[in-house]
This record gives sequence, C-alpha cells and structure tokens, in this order.
Amino acid sequence: MKAPGWARLLLATLAPTGRIDEILGDLEEAHELNVRRSGRVRAHWRTTLETFDMSFALLKLRIRRSRSFNRSSDDEGRGPLPRRPATRLEGPSWLDFKLGLRMLVKHPGLTAVAGIAIAFATALGSGTGEFVSDLLYPTMPFEEGERIVQIRNRDLSTGGVDPRAGHDFQLWRESARSVVELGALVSYRRNVVTAQGTTRPAVGAEMTAAAFNLPRVPPILGRPLIEADERPGAPEVAVIGYEVWTTLFGGDADVLNSTVRVGSEAATIVGVMPEGFAYPHGHSVWTPLRLNALDYPRGEGPGIEVVGRLAQGIGLDEARSEFLAIGQRTASAFPDTNEHLRPSVVQFGRIPQLAGNWLTQGFYFAVFLGFSLLMLLVCANVALLLFARTAARESEITIRTAIGATRGRIIAQLFVEALVLAVSAAVVGLWVGHTGLDWVLGLLRSFGGGQQLGFWFDASLSTGTVIVALTLTVLAAGFAGIVPALKATGKTVQASLQRVGAGTGGARFGSLWTGVIVAQIALTVAFAPVVIVIGYQTAEIRAADLGFAAEHYLSAEVQQGTPEFARLDTTSVSFTTGMPSSFVELKRRLRSDPRVRGVAMSSHVPGANHPLRHIVIEGSTAPDQTVRRHRVATGHVDADFFEALQAPIVAGRGFRASDMAPRQNVVVVNEDFARFVLEDRNPIGRRFAYVDSNREPHQEPDEWFEIVGVVSQVAMQVDPDLDSGAGLYRPLRLEESREVVLAVRLGPNPASFSPRFQELARDVDPTLLVTGVRPMDEGAWETRLLYESWFWVIVAAAGTGLLLTLAGIYAIMAFTVSRRTREIGVRVALGAPGTRVVATILSRALKQLVAGVLLGGTLCIGFVFLVSEGSFRPGPREFAFAGAYLTMMMGVCLTACVVPVRRALAVQPTEALRDEG
Amino acid sequence: MPPKPLAEFELLVMLAALRLGPEEAYTVSIVADIEARTGRVVRRANVFTALQRLEAKDLISTRLGEPRPERGGRPPRLVTLEPSGLAALRVTTRAIRSMYRGLDEILEAG
Repeated sequence: MKAPGWARLLLATLAPTGRIDEILGDLEEAHELNVRRSGRVRAHWRTTLETFDMSFALLKLRIRRSRSFNRSSDDEGRGPLPRRPATRLEGPSWLDFKLGLRMLVKHPGLTAVAGIAIAFATALGSGTGEFVSDLLYPTMPFEEGERIVQIRNRDLSTGGVDPRAGHDFQLWRESARSVVELGALVSYRRNVVTAQGTTRPAVGAEMTAAAFNLPRVPPILGRPLIEADERPGAPEVAVIGYEVWTTLFGGDADVLNSTVRVGSEAATIVGVMPEGFAYPHGHSVWTPLRLNALDYPRGEGPGIEVVGRLAQGIGLDEARSEFLAIGQRTASAFPDTNEHLRPSVVQFGRIPQLAGNWLTQGFYFAVFLGFSLLMLLVCANVALLLFARTAARESEITIRTAIGATRGRIIAQLFVEALVLAVSAAVVGLWVGHTGLDWVLGLLRSFGGGQQLGFWFDASLSTGTVIVALTLTVLAAGFAGIVPALKATGKTVQASLQRVGAGTGGARFGSLWTGVIVAQIALTVAFAPVVIVIGYQTAEIRAADLGFAAEHYLSAEVQQGTPEFARLDTTSVSFTTGMPSSFVELKRRLRSDPRVRGVAMSSHVPGANHPLRHIVIEGSTAPDQTVRRHRVATGHVDADFFEALQAPIVAGRGFRASDMAPRQNVVVVNEDFARFVLEDRNPIGRRFAYVDSNREPHQEPDEWFEIVGVVSQVAMQVDPDLDSGAGLYRPLRLEESREVVLAVRLGPNPASFSPRFQELARDVDPTLLVTGVRPMDEGAWETRLLYESWFWVIVAAAGTGLLLTLAGIYAIMAFTVSRRTREIGVRVALGAPGTRVVATILSRALKQLVAGVLLGGTLCIGFVFLVSEGSFRPGPREFAFAGAYLTMMMGVCLTACVVPVRRALAVQPTEALRDEG
Repeated sequence: MPPKPLAEFELLVMLAALRLGPEEAYTVSIVADIEARTGRVVRRANVFTALQRLEAKDLISTRLGEPRPERGGRPPRLVTLEPSGLAALRVTTRAIRSMYRGLDEILEAG
C-alpha cells in the first residue's frame, strides 16, 4: 500500500538534492510496516506524524547546511568580532518561502489580524475596481466586441440625445464607410405567453438582422433573425433567450416552431440563444424590426438605437470624423430638423456622457488612488505588527548576522515572510471581492429588473484587476516587510550582541511606529460615530412606522406592455398613452373578490420611494425676504386611495372622482406638510407651485396648485436623511399613466392572494405586465437593503480598523513587557508596588492613546462641522456625550493592554533575573 | 587522540548498524531493530538525524543500495561503520562494561 501522496510531495520538496529517492523509499517502507502492524487507519496517523517529524528534521538539516556554508565562505579574512556586512540584496530562496509559511502558523494571532486587514482592503478594492472598470471601460464578450459601436444624434441645443433617427439611419447605412453592418433596434417590455398560458414579463427588442447578428453569436437551436424576417408581410418570428427557454419551455429541444405570444402578437420560435447572451443590454426575446423610415416625416417617428461595427483598419476617431461630416451635410440639407443634431460614435456599452471625458479618467484614477491609500493605511499597520515580531526575533537576527548572514539576506527573508502573508491574504481577498461583486450585481439586477445593468457586468475579476491587486499587495509586502527589516538590522553587530547578551534588546518603537499607532487610534475613534449614525438610520428604517397596517396589504406594479414598433406613437420620443380601461377593469375585478376589503391605485408604492420635489408656497418668504423653498415627497393617487389605506382626512376633504379630470389642480397634503412646511397654519385654500430651475426666482410660476385637504400621515419615503415626512398627493390621471401601483387591502397573509392577482390581471388583459407583487410591508425593501448592506460594509471596515488598532497596541505592550522583564524583576525585588510597575509599563501606551483619542475626537468634530455646514453649536450635553464616547474608546483600547499588564505583574524577580542574567 | 565516546542514542544506532551489516543497515531497518530489541518507540527522523551526525563525524559512511520492491522500487542508503566508528563503539562499550562490572547482581535482580 502506497504512502499518502501529500506526504510524498512534502518530503520530496524538503529533501536535499540527490537524496529524494532514499527518503521516499524510507517513507514507503515505513508506511507498509505501519499498515502491517496497526492496520490502515492507524497507519495513516502514524505515517502523518512521522512525515511531519521527518519534515522538521529535513528542514533542520537544510538550515544547518546553509549556515555552515555561510560560515565557511564569510569567515575568511574576518577578525574575531564580525563586522556588519554591506547591504547587498540577495535573491530570496525557496527556503524563505517555506519559513514564511511556517511563520503564518507560528504566529496565528498576527496572521489572523494582518490577514483580515489585507484581505478586506483587497476585497473592497478589487470589487470596486472591477465594477468601475465594467462601468467606464466595458468589454463586450463577443468576437471583436470592442469594435461594436453605437451612433446617436446629439442635440447641440439641449445636450441630450434625439433618438428619432429613422431617416438618418437610412442615410448612414447608405453613405458611411467607417462603420459597417449598421442595424437598428427598439427595446420593449412585454409579456411572453406560451400556448399553455404560462406568462413571464420579459425585456426584448425588435431588431434588424444586421443589429442582431453584430455579436456573431450563433443560436444553440434554430437560426438567428435574418433579413427576410424584416420584409412587410413576412411571418411573425421570435428568437428566445436561454432563460426564457428553460423557465417557460423547460428546456424542451423541440421548442422550434412552437407558437408564443410576445405582447399581443403571436410569433413562431425560430431560434434559442445560448446561456448568458443578453445582447444588447439585458434582453431575453428578439423579434424582427420592420422599419421603413419613409412612413414618418423626417425628425419624427419612434426612437431607435443604431449600432454597427467599425470597418477593418478604422479607428474610433476616424469614424467620428466621418459621421460628423455626414451630420454637417445633413444639417445643411435639412436645417429645419437637423441643424442642431450631430451624430456621435461611441463604443458599445460606454456611457456616452463619460466616454472620452477627462472626468472619466479622473474618476478611474480616484478609485485606484483610494484603493492604494487604503492598502497603504492597512500595510502601515501590518508593518507595525511585523516590526513587533521582528523586534522579538532580534537576538536571532543578530546571531545570524554575527555568523555571517548579510543584511540583504536577512531583509530578503523578512520581505518574503511578509510577502507570503500578504499574498495569502490577497488571494482570499480577491475571492471575497469576486463573491461580493457577484452579490452586488445580483442585487442591482433585482432592483432594475435587469434593464439598467448591462449583461456584460460580470463578477469575474479581469486579469487587469488581479494584476493591479497583486502588484499593490507586493508593494504592500515590500513596505510591511522591508521597513521593519531595515529598522531591525540597522545597527552594528557588536552593539546588538552586547544588548542581546545583556538581555536588554536593541529594538525600540521609534517615532515612525508611534505615528502609525496614533494615526490608527485617531481614525478608529473618528470612524466609530459614522458606524453609529448609519446603524441608527438602518434601525430607524427597519422600525419605520408607515402609518397604516402594511402587513395586511398586497401591492403590485401593473404596466402597459410596449406596443409593437409599427403601433408606437409617431409624434413623440416615447409613448405615454395609458390604458385606463384595463387598469379600471382590473381594479373592479379585484374589488369584487370576497377576500378584498379595498383597492387603491397610485403612482408609487405607499410607504416607499416617492420622488422629492422643491416647491414654493404662495406668499411665503424667508426672513431675508427671499422665496422659501421646501423639499417634499410627491405622489399621484386615485379617489379611493385614502379610504383603502384607512387614512382619515383630518381637515378639508379628500379627492372626488371629478378631481381626476384634466386641469384640476387640487392637492391633498399630509400632516407633516401642514406642520413643517406651513408651520401649523391653516393649509386649506393655500396655493403652491413647483420650483422650475430654468426660471428666474422672481418670475410668476405657470401653474399653481390648491390644497383642499389634509390627510393623516402615511409614509411616502423611508429615507432617514429627510428632515420630515412632508408630502403631497395629486389626482392620478390614468390617461397619462403607463404604470400604476395597485394596493389591495386583504388582512393577514396577503402574499397568498398573489396568484389570484396574477390570474385576474391575465384575464383582464394578457399584455398587462405585472411585477413586484409582494406584501406592502416589504415595499421599502430596496432602501432597506441598500442601507443594511452599506451598514455592514462600514461595520466590516470599522471592525477591521479596531482590530488593527487593538493588535497594534497589544503588540507594543507585549513587546515592552518582554523587553523590560529584567527591569520589572529588579523593581519588584526592590519592593515596588504593582501599581507603580503598571504605571511604568503603561505610561508610553497611555500617552499614545490619549494623543490618538484626542486627534480622533478633533477629526470627529471637524467632520460634524463640515456635514452641518458650520451650523453645529455644541452645548453641555454634546460635550458630555463626546467626553463619554472618548472615555469609552480609551477603555476599549486599554483592553488590549490587559494581557501584557497581567504578564508584567506575574513576573517573579528570581526567575526574571535568572533568565536574563 | 582517542575517539570520543558515543551518546546513548548514537550508541544504539551504531550497534544496530553493526548487527545488521553493510548490506542491510539503513534508516528503517535500524529503527525496526532498535524497537524490536529495546521495546522503545524510535522516531525515524531521530535515526535519520543521528546518521547525518555520525557521518559528519566520519564514524560511518553511506552509499546507495539496489532498488527494492517493498520500498516502491527505491534504493536504501546503506550504512557501513568506519574504523573510527568501530573505535568509538569500542571505547563506549568498554566504558559501559567497566562501569557495569560488579553490579551484575544488583542490576540483574531487578
């Protein structure tokens, strides 16, 4: 029976050259004997122990050989007392790496603290760097993906993009030479319904064949879209994505030629795309785009996206120049529609506002710099811990130097020890960064229904990110390993030997390390209040009173599916026509269900994420006579809203059916509005207007709104940064709404009504998109999740900082006690009381603590002043609180001194003097 | 200069090597021999280190033997006692014998 493979590998690695065979032979024979004597299981244990035993013996042999070699080569021509050899950097040997690994095991506390810190910094830096890189410099995972471009008409007068480019698209396709394979697409959200009635809302696109085939990705089943599909009168076809295929059709290989309804049109499935293909953004269904620009006047028609591929040998700048020239010619030919439009070419996936912008480079650089600073901060602290360890090994270093090791050799060894620690932690950090980014991307995709985040956002760390992270890690190891090594080896051997012999040691924590520890304490003290504030805000959100029994309600977002391209509004950029009859019918059917006690319709989910707008109250001025602005939450609700939410009207009246008609500028405000905006004056009959940033402050607003009622407080936002919950409600006009929120009052366990809700919606109109069906007490989940995630990141950062601080203080104290053991022994022998001994030991640490805590407190106060824009005026209460906080932090930091102090008090004079003498 | 006497463990190793002979004395067989004769558990690493030390003192010499199947087809490093090793062994055993003399009754009685 063969010995375990790991044992063979370990011994083969450690065995001296030329002796591997005999040592492995011994291993095999001994293992066979063990099996015969003790059976398989026990034999494995015995062989394991013997292998470790043998490994140490081989290591000792190697060290002894290395020393004898150094001695024989360095002793020649030297005097009796060795002089310090010149600092000559010698390449680290493989043995250094093995020793580095042993040091990880030998000092588990240091490994854990420094490892956590480096891993945290690496995880944060690599995750953020990768996300920013994907955002600013996206790489399409296709053949020549970097050559795919988007062409948009920029409006020079507004700075925006005009997507009504049907006529221009035809022109570009005929005349442009720098961009080929030009195609167009229109995105939509529609229900995909199978023949069995299974429904799934999906993001899809009507695309020309050229646009669809730009990525050159073949389908896994069937065919892609082809030009023949675009011809008027061609059969309706659809290509589906992998996710739709697996969820709606169970991955059926015979799915081709099945009929599926996309929105209101039935289509035949002709192809299935591979997993992960979600081109152009986050799409999962593709149908042909039948675009005939001549159907619309120039400058009108629905918006389209135009994509293409840079021609061979053509760069982005050349394409830009050509399209600019085409744009100028078009502007001259059609000044009425194109005078203010210029086509711009950007790499596909790039945010046009950021592409090529110096700000982009600056932002990217800032992220890189932030990561580097974080690493610097962390490695300064790790260096402190390593210096404490190095100082504790001073006698070893001195003796090694005395017997001939060069300074460069020792520095190389200490650098490699730090490198092994840093790289091990960085590898863990990279894994954590990848996992964390995967989680964040999943979260963001769940927020935006997959639309906002391009499919190319990927949690895999790019080679560039890994190289940057590892380069910074090596630099950090250089700093954390070499600086302590230089400090520890920067003395003469003779003096070091004398100190070692006298038992006093030579290494001291000088001003550099004092500075590091003071800065670390200051940052920890300054950072803790941020954690407290965010924790408080998170708790506030979790316990937020929504003002109604949200746990009895079910809410859902109901949306009109995007119509087919041919039916899109031809006069405006986007379609806004609502479908009041479907919404009203759905509400009617819901109300007729016996479980339902009330139904409300609104623009936003009650209790969450209503938009904030600035308003001015008619006749209201600030003390300095300027017009006073107020920021309030705004929402649109139907006439049954307040009744369904059981929110009583406390003054004036609620909405009536007649208020839902156009040009009825009536408003109902909530209690916080009356209290904070109107300062408890009678709100009924007061008028306000929205602030228009494009108008002069003194100009009369176009539109005034009249307050007709005050309703009891129902939360509209769960943002703890808001001063108040002031909000206003306006009538919901279904004719203008593509999307409404339906809140259904049910009773306990509202989630059980979800399937019935979906069923009713499908019966009313199969094209209605129903999303976000959930109990209403989860309505604020996005905000809550964001705050909670942020809170835990901050806690992790603060925890790592505190851990480093405590470890630093502990290292200094433990080092001080071990260095002064003899002195303590003498003091105790001479009758010094324990308190005096403790005071002696603690005096330096206390000074550093006080300096750090005071500096941190000052930083904290400065931060509060900055945030409050100078309006913070601390009173006795604030001073008392600050004093208590600083005392508490000092107490926390002092806990790191407990073990070393106990060790100092336990020193027996006789033993101390004998050991050191 | 007379050879230095051997330490206890070195003595055991040298005696085992002498008994096993130059064709059979190597780390694993020495371990087995000492364990069988003394009843104590011997660590292979200690025998390996002791052999290194003895070779460094020129008391023994080593050479690679023939590959053996029970060793996975690998050869053992065979140990041969050098004349200086035999001399050290003689000095040590002589010292032990002289110290032992006259104590037979007491020591054997236990």
